[in-house]
Amino acid sequence: MMITTAQVFTIISIICAPMVGIAALVLTLAALNLSLGIRRLYVQLLALIFDYATKIKRDKEISIDSNASSDEPPTPLPPSTAKNKLAPTLEKKNEDNPAEKTNSSIHSFDRRSQDPLFNSALLLLYNSSLRDIIDCTRQGLEAIVDDDVTKRFTSAEEMVVWNLLTRTQQQHEYFSMRVTLLWFLGFCVRYFILFPFRLFLFILGVLWMLGSAVFLQYFPAKDAKLRFGFYINIVLHRILSRVFSAIITIHNTEHRAKCGSICVANHTSPIDVIILSTDNSFSMIGQQQGGFFGMVQRTLSQTANHIWFERSEAKDRHMVAEKMREHIQAHNNLPILIFPEGTCINNTSVMMFKKGCFEITEATIYPVAIKYDNRFGDAFWNSSKHELFQYLILMMTSWAIVVDVYYLPPMTIEEGETSVDFARRVKAAIAKQGGFVDLEWDGGLKRALPKADYKAEEQRKFYEMLKTE
Amino acid sequence: MGASRSALLPLDEEKSICSETGFTPKQLRRLYVRFQELGKRNPACEFLTREELLDIREVALNPLGQRLVDVIIEDYGEANRINFKQFATVLAQFRRGKAITDLNTKEKKLLFLFSIYDRNHDSKIDRHELLGILKMMVGGNIHDEQIATIADHTIEELDSDGDLTITFEEFCKTLIRIDVDEKMSMKFLN
Repeated sequence: MMITTAQVFTIISIICAPMVGIAALVLTLAALNLSLGIRRLYVQLLALIFDYATKIKRDKEISIDSNASSDEPPTPLPPSTAKNKLAPTLEKKNEDNPAEKTNSSIHSFDRRSQDPLFNSALLLLYNSSLRDIIDCTRQGLEAIVDDDVTKRFTSAEEMVVWNLLTRTQQQHEYFSMRVTLLWFLGFCVRYFILFPFRLFLFILGVLWMLGSAVFLQYFPAKDAKLRFGFYINIVLHRILSRVFSAIITIHNTEHRAKCGSICVANHTSPIDVIILSTDNSFSMIGQQQGGFFGMVQRTLSQTANHIWFERSEAKDRHMVAEKMREHIQAHNNLPILIFPEGTCINNTSVMMFKKGCFEITEATIYPVAIKYDNRFGDAFWNSSKHELFQYLILMMTSWAIVVDVYYLPPMTIEEGETSVDFARRVKAAIAKQGGFVDLEWDGGLKRALPKADYKAEEQRKFYEMLKTE
Repeated sequence: MGASRSALLPLDEEKSICSETGFTPKQLRRLYVRFQELGKRNPACEFLTREELLDIREVALNPLGQRLVDVIIEDYGEANRINFKQFATVLAQFRRGKAITDLNTKEKKLLFLFSIYDRNHDSKIDRHELLGILKMMVGGNIHDEQIATIADHTIEELDSDGDLTITFEEFCKTLIRIDVDEKMSMKFLN
């Protein structure tokens, strides 16, 4: 039977109709900033499934462990008696020594030309230096086992509740048919249902962006253009956030960044920008790139004033600071969005803020803490492990991205405060709000060796301690 | 999907190391992952060298870093490198927890500390060795003569048998008031 073109068209339109319908729905919701709450229900359902899977796993593990422990013989006694043998000898020596000591101290009093007060001070000094030596040793050993810095750059601890993604487990153990089945089901849902749908939304987002750029290019009035640009930008990002099934909860919206200020946030993933832009429009700042990304940059520049500078200018910190200052001082320019850590951190801590943007004293800084919930998808981008493209695919095949955004009250630099101190103050505020560990480590350590003066600083601290004792 | 780690520790080796060191299987596996991580420049090699340990930033920055690595490689490894079993053995001495084996005792910790000073392995800390440690801790901030004075007076004070060296017993005496067991125990995560 020959299939006529009419029939082909009907088939295509039947397939496309739901797609188009959903697209229209998503666009409307994005434009009106409404949510049907479907994503939240979905996430709650997922949480229940994960708990069920983990319960199965735990039950299995308990049975395996109890088998193992019954095989082990009871702890043999000899080791502990050996320890006791040593202890008495140590104690005995201690008993003998006081007597010896008094003898030797009388003897050595002749040797000493200084006064006893000096010597007891010396002993105190020796003891505290010994404590330092012990601490140093222990810290060195801890670093060998697992140093703080690499801990922040690798994905956070294995989760207590497994979320049916093998990427979050170091070894996939086959322990139960039911759980493996669940995992397989989840795999199919994620890759064959969710992924195509998200890809479609992504294309929709890109089309929206291009369409709006063309639309705005022919728009006459400058002021209206900026206002339209603001709303178009937000709608675009709302569509994009649905691409990742992002469930965003924003706290303290009264502290949303205003025009002519700088917005500062901790950095975990390239998606941070999308998340923040669903609620507010920002001016981006960065190097002018070539290729596809360069085109994106030029398109974005249609909708708002962004700060793009040439590669040669990027090295000149003063020029960058100048451009930022100009931007802030024009009143209806959007707030500049900056991630002062300089690189992606795994959302358990906040690393040292680069002081660059804090040197602009006229600026009001609006800090923002972004906290991801890892249960439904780990948003951290480990750039040494995944390329950007690979990372985006991973994000689009995760369950969902659940994120809490906390707007913090604005801060300005105080009298006599250096930019480094100000940066530290802002960092502490963000760390406190997000429940992150506040680390002094430099994000640049991810790629480069630490500065030589840090070791000198450690030595200087020890010297100071010696001086004051 | 996900990162593929190199081969796991063979089960019988894992069992034997666990029983000797007192680590749980999970702790040991995690330590093995770390061992592989540290040696990633030579993935085929089953040993860690001094350079690979010193590659760790915090160790390189630690004033006693070099010395610590020396003790680990020389005293617990062989031929300037250390294999996983030896690696686990030295770290087991600092495991926080009940003394299942006789490794993580206070005595062992004290010996470890002592060997940080005593690099010529003559069971005594002499003036030269004490000077070495003090210089590492203090760097270029104090003149050599001042450090020498501190070292001399310290030995005078602590040396009870008059041979101008500090023996292990004399060393331990000075540590009585410090809770070495507590201060040098590490938690090994599961």
